[in-house]
This record gives sequence, structure tokens and C-alpha cells, in this order.
Amino acid sequence: MAEARQVPFRGGGFRPVQKRGVGLVVFVLLIAVVEWGTRAGWISSLTLPKPSDVARTLIGLWQSGLLMQHVLPSLSRLAVGSAMGVTAGIGIGVLIGLFSLARAGLVPLVAALFPIPKIALLPLFVIWFGIDEGSKYALIALGTFTPTVVATFGAVDNVDRTLIRMGQSFGLPWLSIVTKIVLPGALPGILSGLRISLSIGIILLVAAEMLGAQYGIGAYILEAGSLYDLERLFAGVVILSALGVTVSFLIGRVETRMLRWRS
Amino acid sequence: MTQFTRRNTLGLMAGAATLPMLGTPALANTKLVVGALPFTSHAASFVAYERGYFAEAGLDVEFKFFQAAQPMAVAIASGDADYAVTAISGGLISLAEKGATKVIGGALSEEKGIDGQKILASDAAFQAGLTSPAQLAGKKWAVTQAGSSFHYMGSKIAQAEGVEVAFTPLQKVGAIIGAMKSGQVDAWSIVPHIAKPLAGSGAVHIIGDVAVYIPDYQVTTVFTSATNAADERAKTEAFLAAFSKGADDFNAALVDKTAGEDAAEDMVKLIHKYVYTDREYEKAKPGIVNGAMRINAGAALNTTSVQDQLDWFKAEGLVKDSVTMDMLVDTSYVSTM
Amino acid sequence: MDLTIEGLTHRYDAVEVLSDISLSIPSGRIVCIVGPSGCGKSTLLRMIGGLERPSAGRILQLGDPPADCLNPLTFVFQDFALLPWRSVAGNISLVLEDRAVSRKDRADRIADVLARTNLSDFANALPRQLSGGMKQRVAIARALAVNPAVMLMDEPLSALDAQTRELLMDDLVGLWTRTPFTAVYVTHNLSEAVRLGHKIVVLSRRPGRIREVVEIDTPLDQRDATDPDLARAQDHLWQLMREEAKAADAELAHG
Ligand SMILES: Nc1ncnc2c1ncn2[C@@H]1O[C@H](COP(=O)(O)OP(=O)(O)OP(=O)(O)O)[C@@H](O)[C@H]1O
Ligand SMILES: [Mg+2]
Repeated sequence: MAEARQVPFRGGGFRPVQKRGVGLVVFVLLIAVVEWGTRAGWISSLTLPKPSDVARTLIGLWQSGLLMQHVLPSLSRLAVGSAMGVTAGIGIGVLIGLFSLARAGLVPLVAALFPIPKIALLPLFVIWFGIDEGSKYALIALGTFTPTVVATFGAVDNVDRTLIRMGQSFGLPWLSIVTKIVLPGALPGILSGLRISLSIGIILLVAAEMLGAQYGIGAYILEAGSLYDLERLFAGVVILSALGVTVSFLIGRVETRMLRWRS
Repeated sequence: MTQFTRRNTLGLMAGAATLPMLGTPALANTKLVVGALPFTSHAASFVAYERGYFAEAGLDVEFKFFQAAQPMAVAIASGDADYAVTAISGGLISLAEKGATKVIGGALSEEKGIDGQKILASDAAFQAGLTSPAQLAGKKWAVTQAGSSFHYMGSKIAQAEGVEVAFTPLQKVGAIIGAMKSGQVDAWSIVPHIAKPLAGSGAVHIIGDVAVYIPDYQVTTVFTSATNAADERAKTEAFLAAFSKGADDFNAALVDKTAGEDAAEDMVKLIHKYVYTDREYEKAKPGIVNGAMRINAGAALNTTSVQDQLDWFKAEGLVKDSVTMDMLVDTSYVSTM
Repeated sequence: MDLTIEGLTHRYDAVEVLSDISLSIPSGRIVCIVGPSGCGKSTLLRMIGGLERPSAGRILQLGDPPADCLNPLTFVFQDFALLPWRSVAGNISLVLEDRAVSRKDRADRIADVLARTNLSDFANALPRQLSGGMKQRVAIARALAVNPAVMLMDEPLSALDAQTRELLMDDLVGLWTRTPFTAVYVTHNLSEAVRLGHKIVVLSRRPGRIREVVEIDTPLDQRDATDPDLARAQDHLWQLMREEAKAADAELAHG
């Protein structure tokens, strides 16, 4: 009789599984290694700062109230600038998605604007909008505008056409089709575009604060860089990262709230 | 300390008098990289190179040009350049504190009677009444970055006038000039060869001299890596000696004007090879002549001024309180004032 | 309200899709349209519903739709076309919101059609929580909510499994028996056609023309799978279809 063998399993892998806490462990491990290296001396103080010194710098910033002095202006720049950029971006994106004329006229313009390093325009913006908040808002607004436009009209294009046909077949007015079918249908795409736009906004914060900013996380980082003060540099980077994580978390919350209908 | 001073003097004498003899055999073809900015203030190195003083000392010098002092300090720390001249900035002090760099001599100085750095007001601010540094209260003072020499000067001037100014970082000198012209910032201080043409065009106005507020200001210093300062004595001394000879020629030709018209003309021609190379000679000449500030003889270092600057950086919280003069300066090479 | 189609012809660029279709759709009857794939059934239905313009010919409404009819020609789509972000009730409400219907009337209509399609318990469920059959019942409820003069159904059951299809057919028969409605029902499933159609229109392969119109007089609620008349009718349809389908296949193979 033939020998009985079990069929070997070969279907494993290629499927992301949630592993809680692993990210945190990697993070902590990395910091521990750097701390050890800087203490033992095999990482020179020119290469990396001691993580514990960075932490102390952060605590010092908090206690002296400087943290808020730097974070609040940056937050307001990010909020105002990206609110302008995102609002305009969604508006223009929807127009492009809905009207062929707008598409023909504006898509090439957006394509031309997109790859411009916005930092290069900063001196120009200073002339146009002044060296104070105006130029900073403008820079962040432009930086968040283009990705939002692209994400929005892509999202509008991807709205299920049969849903729009359905609306028409029931005689829904144009405005209702846009507000009740197109916009909600485009929302997931718009929100994921928002993640990218706001990250770009955070990146541009540093650039925006290059000219004429005494306070702000970007200004703080630039100052630390020019002083070759690695503790402050890293402390600034940590604040920026925290800002990025917070923004991403908030968008995640908005997504779970507004996109509960998705499985 | 006494010991150091004696050695300084000896070293200096040796450098000035006997270096070609002493240096050549020991240092045949020592390669080194000198960091420089294309400004007149770096002329001593250019002269030493063009007139063969480096070669005589057995140094095979290669220039590495930078657009700002900050990356130059980092290049010294990383070993990409050996010697350079730059203003004392927070970055330089931080690098010294980390044991990466050392100031070994002095270069540009403010001196009474010699045209030095100017205090400028933008036309808009000038028309609005900013006609002397006393009216600086609440004005926007342009700096490249916090902790730059512009920051130091602005702060000292404001302090002396008993006013507060808002420091406005603009990263680059070019950006500051643009912002001054368009009236986005109100005031700034800068070397004369930039200040004068700007004022001549009417876009800005000269409202004072830095030297009045910071007498004997040691504007720039010669610095190197801590390793060079500690372990490469012969090379460092040879560099300083050749550099000093270049400085002497420069001072005689353009600052003290004791060398005669022809020597001055030759000197300008020499410098024009490095500075304002994009302009014709005739146009470049006034800029170079205007920019001539004294480069300390024998690369002597005004430690009083350096101490004052260090104290200011500490007081402003720009550098750690634990930084001492010994960390920043190696006084064993040149005489101190 | 009756519909009459006169000499309808349609071509996409050079390709003729429908050729000279004339047909009447009497009030209160279900007209099934069968035909090989690609013969233009969906195109014809879209034209009846006014979503597309024919190249030639016309579609006429005879008489007025009933007074409480909000959308005379109403589609039921193959893939349901439910808004995933609206609940069952919300999806039905969607087609009433822009009409001159009072808030109360709207709620009544929603409750009524949900009751008629046995969905009252699911008013607040989201589409993703429903099975395919329930989704299509929501779509039918939505169509009923506007009290259509004619329902235009394009393979409404083809996305469903066989058992669900059977149950839903029973539901449709029940709905029609209680309140007869007018429908044009496109399918390529012949047993659906003989179960639901008062009149079955067989289209030829592309360009689709009317091959034959089969009338079945047995009342809908008396039709069952064992009825020999129905079996005969289905067989007859199949013979017609087979020739067309075979020929269509051969044409495709020869490009
Ligand atoms: N918008 C269009 N542009 C060009 N050709 C089209 C268009 N819509 C349909 N056609 C073509 O017209 C023909 C009829 O299409 P239609 O969808 O009406 O067929 P059908 O009978 O519904 O087929 P099926 O049974 O597969 O649903 C097909 O050959 C199709 O390729
Ligand atoms: Mg079809």
C-alpha cells in the first residue's frame, strides 16, 4: 500500500498581519543603541546627540514655555496655509472633475505648478505677500494646493459612474448629484490626498520659516542647524515628527468617522 | 599661560623671519586644503598663494570655495578642509565645544580710522525716520541666521542704544540685500565693500559705523580642526606664517597704503582673480579697494573681543554655558591682544 | 401609460447595434427582452429610459403617468447602484428628497416600499451589511418609491446566486400580483423570461432586430416550473436563441 503523507502547506506569507508593538520595540531599541554608542564614545558627539540630552532639551523647551512659543506660530501657519491650499484645491479639483472645459484649461496648469520646488518661489512670495505671515501662508497654501487638486479630481473621476447614471435616471437635479453622489463618493480619495498634502505642508513649514521667522519649529531647526547644536536640531525634528504623527492620526479619526460606510 | 605667550612670540618670530629655511625641508609638498569665500576679507590667503608664500613654506595649497561661512566650519570639522577664515558664529563655537575645531589666529579687525563695517537702513525705513542707530527700536534687523555675526553686531548695537530690535533671519546675504532693497527689513550691518555700492544706488542708507559700537571687533578668525591645532604644529605654523606674509602685503598695499600706487594696483589685480570675477576689472576695483579692512599682522588674535563674543553667545543662550575660551581658542600660535 | 417604440435604429460610429425596432409596451404588463450577448438589449433599455439618444426612430409615451408618479421611467440596475454611504432608508430617501414630497409623505413612502419588499427591519442598515438579494430588493424598493409608470430592469437578478434569484422572482411575482406594474425586463436567462414575461421579445444577434415576440397568457402567480406550456415556450425560445448565439459566436471568431 502507498505510504500516506501529509500534503505540505505552501500558502504562507504575502499577507500583512497586524503585529502590535513591534514598531515601538524597533524604535526603543534604536534609541537605546544610540544612547549606548554616544555614552561609550563609539558614536562621536559630532555625529549624533545623546538621546537623553535631546529629551532633556525637549523638557527644557516645555518648562521654559519656549515650546509653545515655537509650536503655536508654526501650527497657525500650517492651519491657515493648508486651509487655504486645501479649500482651493478641493474646489478646483471638483471643477476639473465635473467640467471638461475646466479640465482642459487647468490640468496643464496644475501639472506645470506641481513640480516647481515651492522653496524656490519663497523670495518672490516675500515680495508679493510681505516678509511676515503672508509669504508663509502663501508658500504652504501653494504646496498643499497642487496635490489636493490632483487627488480631488482623481477621486471625482473614480466615483462609480453607475451611481451618477442612477441619480440621473431618477431625475435628480445636477446640484444634488454633485453634493449627494459625487462629493461623498470622492471623499475617500480626497481624504487620502489630504494626508499627502498636509505632510507636504509640514515639510514646507521649515522652508517657509527660512525667511523672516523668529519663532516657529522650522526656524528653531534652522537655528539649531546653523549653531551646529545637534540636541536642539533633533529636538526640533522630534517635534516635527510628532506633528506629522498627530496630523496623520487626526485624519485617521476623520476617516473612521466619515467613512464608516466602508468595510 | 606665560609659557604659551613666550612660545607665541617665538613662533611668530620664527614664522616671520626664518620660515622659508626652516619649513622647506620638513614640509616638502605638504598638501592642504584652504577654505575660502570669494570676498576681499579672505585676500591674505589669495596673496600667499599667488605670490608663492605657501609654496615657499612647502605647502601645496588647494582652495575650496564656499558660499557661506557655516558650511565652511562644518567642512573643517569633517576634515574636508584644513584651514579657513570666518567670522565667529554660534556654529563655530558649538563645533569647538564638541572638540572639532579651534580658533588659532585673528584676521579681519575693526580699527578706528580705517573704514569698517557699516550700519545700513533700508530706504523705506530711512524715509520713515531711521536715520541713526538710536532710532532702531522695534525695527527689523536682518541676520542670515540666529547666532551669526550679524546677530552679534545687531544685538551689541541695540544694547548700546538701549533699544530692542526684531532679528529677522533670511539665510543668505543675497536674500538680505533683496529684502533691504524692497524694504521688507529695516536695518543691517555689513562690510564696506557691499555697503558702499548699495548706498550709492540709493536703495539703502548708511546710518553708522559698527566700529563705534564694537571697537576693536575681531570680525574674522583663522581656524582649523582641533587635530591640526594639536598634532600638526609644523604645518599649522607654516600656514600661519605664509598667511601672515600675505596679510602684510595686503595691509601695506590697500589698508596702510605704504607700498605705493603700483603695488596697490597689482594687489587689486591679484585679488580680482578671486573676487568679483564676474565683473570687469574697472568695475571690480572700487569694490575691492572699498572692502579693504585690516587683516591682523602676524594673524594676531584679539582675545578680548573673542571673549566678549563668546560671552554674548552664552548670554543669548545660543551656545552652551560650559564653553570656555580654552575650548574655542588655541593661543599657542599667535600673539594675543 | 403605455410606451410605443417606432422604427428605432442605433449605431455607434459605423457599427449598427439596433435595427428598426418597433414594439409596444402596454400598461400593467411585463415585457421581457432576450437576445444573445452584445445584441443591444441594454442600449435599447437606456434609450427607453432617456439616458441615450437613438440614431433614428422614436419612443412615445401614450397617455399620462399616474398622478402620484414622481419618475415615470425608473431603472433597476444589474449592480444595484446603491450609495454605500447611505442606509437602506437613506438610499430610498435620496430619490424623494428633491421632489415636492412632504417630510411625512416621504417617510410614509419609505415605510411602505420597505414593507412591500420585506426590508422594514433593515431600514438603518448600510449596503455593505446586506446580502446581494437584499441589496437588489432595496434597489427595487427605491424604484417603487417613486411610483414609476414603467420600471426598466436590466438583468436585475444576474448578479445573484441561483437560490436568491428564485426567491426574488417569487417576490417580484408577489409584488406584481398585489399591484400590477409596467416593466421592461432585460435578461438572458430564459426561465426568468417565462416566469415573469407577459410578452417576450427575442432579439437577433447584432444588429439587434426583433426575431419574434412570444406572448404567454398564463397569469404570473399560476406559473410554476412544472407547467408543460411554459416548458414548451422556454424550449421554443431556446431554439431561437441557440441559432443566433451560435451565429454570433462564429461571427466573433471570424472577427
Ligand atoms: N457607448 C458605446 N460605444 C460604442 N459601442 C457600444 C457602446 N455601448 C455598447 N456598445 C456596443 O453595442 C453593442 C450592444 O451593447 P449592449 O450593451 O446594448 O449589449 P447587450 O445586449 O446588453 O449585451 P449583454 O447581454 O452582454 O449585456 C455591443 O457590441 C457593444 O460593444
Ligand atoms: Mg447588457
